[in-house]
Amino acid sequence: MEILSPPKSSNGHMACAMKVPVAVVRLPRGPDGTSRGFDPNSPRFQALGPSSLSSLVTPNTAELEEEQQGRVLLRERYLRSLLAMARQPVSFAMYEKVNVTALFGASDIDILNFQVSELQTPLGVQREALLRCSDIIAYSFEL
Amino acid sequence: MTEWQKKSPLEWLSYVNKEVKVLAAEKNTYQGWVLTVDPVSANILLAQPLENGKMSISAVLGHAVQDVEIVNEADDTMKEKLSHLFMPEERQRYSQEEMERKKISLKGWLETNHIPVKEQGELQTTLCVAGVLTIDPPYRPEDCNSSNEIILSRVQELIQGYLALQQCQV
Repeated sequence: MEILSPPKSSNGHMACAMKVPVAVVRLPRGPDGTSRGFDPNSPRFQALGPSSLSSLVTPNTAELEEEQQGRVLLRERYLRSLLAMARQPVSFAMYEKVNVTALFGASDIDILNFQVSELQTPLGVQREALLRCSDIIAYSFEL
Repeated sequence: MTEWQKKSPLEWLSYVNKEVKVLAAEKNTYQGWVLTVDPVSANILLAQPLENGKMSISAVLGHAVQDVEIVNEADDTMKEKLSHLFMPEERQRYSQEEMERKKISLKGWLETNHIPVKEQGELQTTLCVAGVLTIDPPYRPEDCNSSNEIILSRVQELIQGYLALQQCQV
């Protein structure tokens, strides 16, 4: 019962201090070991990151820099292609010769899932859907 | 992981601007000019010009790629065409003074919103927010770069608001 009783006025020092809220302007933290991001030590990176990352094998900084530049160029183009694909009709070739079309919405950063709308399936139209990229062989659209 | 997924970014880069034939799972084949290979998923992005002047873009997912064979190299006009495909519109040219004015004005706006911002780069033209986000000239929402998507979207929203405010004043 002692624990549940409200703080008495005599030891209300803390309670008093809490009554005046202090505005704290702070930006969210950057990626760390337990959040999403590309921190090489994070469990997420270790699970999903390419183990072929040659930068882990070759400690040569010049080579590493070159590889990183290449990776940036490749990735930027790919991300821009996803932007160009948004709200466009895209046809997906899935395994077992299944072909479906849908309006592309978004992708997660690891390109593991695509969010699509108006998915035309053999069983009717699905308003919203997530497609697992592991089920897709290829996709195409016109620009 | 397949042979294709295990390649390094520099190896993938050597396929860019080449016409290739891709053999994928279930005997599917795809042909086109390589725009890029996503270094995260190893997806190959191909472009194939259509007769109506449009481009057909197809992507073969990295896990489904079985073989990639180079059949042709791009000439300069093709390379040019491929590199501009997804890039944003050619930038409007601004004079140096105009750019400086834009930078100071945006910096002031961010500071009134309690966002810590510094100038950096060789010519001090890049704005850096909290050491994790950069804004390059001409300082539009799409000129922001950050690996932290939460900060990125917040700062982009702020810039959007700032631009909307300016539009109202004009």
